[in-house]
Amino acid sequence: MNKKIILIFTSISILSAFICFLGLFWAVFDKHDTIQSNKRVDHVNSEEKKNSSNTVHIVALGDSLTRGIGDDKGKGYVGDLKDMLIKKSKKKIQVTNHAIGGQTSSELLKQLKQPEVRRQLRQADIILISTGANDLFQGGAALDHLNMSYFNSIEKRYLVNAKHVYSTLRSLNSHATVFHIGLYNPFIDLEQSKLTSKMVSKWNVDNANLTRDYKKMIYVPTFDLFQLNVNDYLYSDKFHPNTKGYQLIAERVVSLIVFHEEGK
Amino acid sequence: MINLIYNEQLKLLRKKRLYVIMVMIFILVSLFTYAQYKQTNELIEKMGHVNWRVQLQQKIVDTQNRLNSTNIPNDFKQTLKIQVSQQQYYLDHNIDPAAPGAPTFMRIFIENAISLLLPLLVLVIASDLVSSEYSNGTIKLLLTRPVKRWKILMSKYFALLLSISLILFCMALFSYLISGLIFGYNGWSLPMITGFKADGNTLNTTGAYTIPLWKYVVIEYGLAWFVGVVVGALTLLLSVLIRSTAAVMGIMLASLIAGAILVNMVSSWHSAKYLFMLNLQLTHYIHGTNPPITGMTLGFSLIVLLIWLVISIIFSFAIFTKQDVY
Repeated sequence: MNKKIILIFTSISILSAFICFLGLFWAVFDKHDTIQSNKRVDHVNSEEKKNSSNTVHIVALGDSLTRGIGDDKGKGYVGDLKDMLIKKSKKKIQVTNHAIGGQTSSELLKQLKQPEVRRQLRQADIILISTGANDLFQGGAALDHLNMSYFNSIEKRYLVNAKHVYSTLRSLNSHATVFHIGLYNPFIDLEQSKLTSKMVSKWNVDNANLTRDYKKMIYVPTFDLFQLNVNDYLYSDKFHPNTKGYQLIAERVVSLIVFHEEGK
Repeated sequence: MINLIYNEQLKLLRKKRLYVIMVMIFILVSLFTYAQYKQTNELIEKMGHVNWRVQLQQKIVDTQNRLNSTNIPNDFKQTLKIQVSQQQYYLDHNIDPAAPGAPTFMRIFIENAISLLLPLLVLVIASDLVSSEYSNGTIKLLLTRPVKRWKILMSKYFALLLSISLILFCMALFSYLISGLIFGYNGWSLPMITGFKADGNTLNTTGAYTIPLWKYVVIEYGLAWFVGVVVGALTLLLSVLIRSTAAVMGIMLASLIAGAILVNMVSSWHSAKYLFMLNLQLTHYIHGTNPPITGMTLGFSLIVLLIWLVISIIFSFAIFTKQDVY
């Protein structure tokens, strides 16, 4: 009895030792040089398209605003928007947020080249973007270069990128509605607010004019939301919105979405 | 010789310690499976569905956001950067690195067990192989037999090797059987990418290639086995030297835990890479994670561990055959 158990244990151990040694051998000596992609994409894609009629796919791109930095709940306007839509609509809402804090428009262009991001954009019903704030403000550094000529050069560069972003989005997906969240002036309470407000408004107008060239593309103004009592809606970094501020943005976008759905 | 090994196996099984270890592995695997199951459920709830590509992309974006935060130490940033480029690589090649299934669970389990759990279990076996003979006084009975001393120690080494193999076998078997109940038993042929080279800031993908998951798992268990052998040999050396099981346990535990802590903070202390406990995470090289100290590779770690192994074997034999027994 005892002898049998020992023999069983020992033989299992020996077997296992051999397998492990084989693994160790492979780890050291085995070399391949081929890499093959898994080609199941098309199959999966068609599967997803079938379920998509019942769900609204929302893809969010952009900077810290879309990421929701400053919101105590961590949701941002995208999260608030989702909650509001769930209440309003019977459809399933599915949100993917690809926003990266601090992203500039040129970095967004780079992100738009990633195949998975492109795949999801193709399936999206609603696309939310926020970009430009980091181009313009550079995290507050712009306050050191407050002059119109510097502003014009930045804006010119940005508008080229923005145009590129829009045309990429449209070429990927022509049916989704695109909401570009506009800029507000976080420095409206500081010195030289006249100049900063002038810059932000000009930026918004020029950007909104650009979106008019594309169908179903809406530039959502936020400037007025933060014009009065700006400090009530800003987070303690005095740059990002706080929970209340995000709520305001979400409400504005939601009203546009519902209007759009009824219009269909 | 066979009889001696048989004798050692008998002693090991009589002590019931192997059974305790098996029960421990069983309980731990069940716990981990349950935790993983909960996590997947929560993910489904949060994301709405379980398309892995959406999840992976989300993970990449989350990590990129962490990278932008200013209060992350530089070496951790590098690790994150490597992680992002690796995940992007998987995504670009349409391969799911964490496809649910029992084989994936086995892989994740051994990757997490290799640096601490497995050495601890080996420690439980090896720490008193020699020292208990002293404390029980049985060493005199053993050494008065007409058998060469080195043969006795050799038989103990073989018994240790067999026990380590058995521990790994139990880990593999239990994690496969238990996690399979929830995640399914399929997925052995899924492709995995290996051959990444993480150096400093960038992930070098030129040498990357795919292997089926079963081979990946066998390789990782093989590396874990080697780690077990090295830890076992070191413990046996201490067991020969110190003769007190508790002290052996204490020293080995301290160095293993020190290793687990040091791994996270030695990036600028270069000579630390010759310590055995910093080289235990061999599976990281297969996986392509940033090493704790730049310049460490799989070959380097294997050689360092091999040197520790050889030295501890030579010393334990030299001491055991010359030692006075009273």
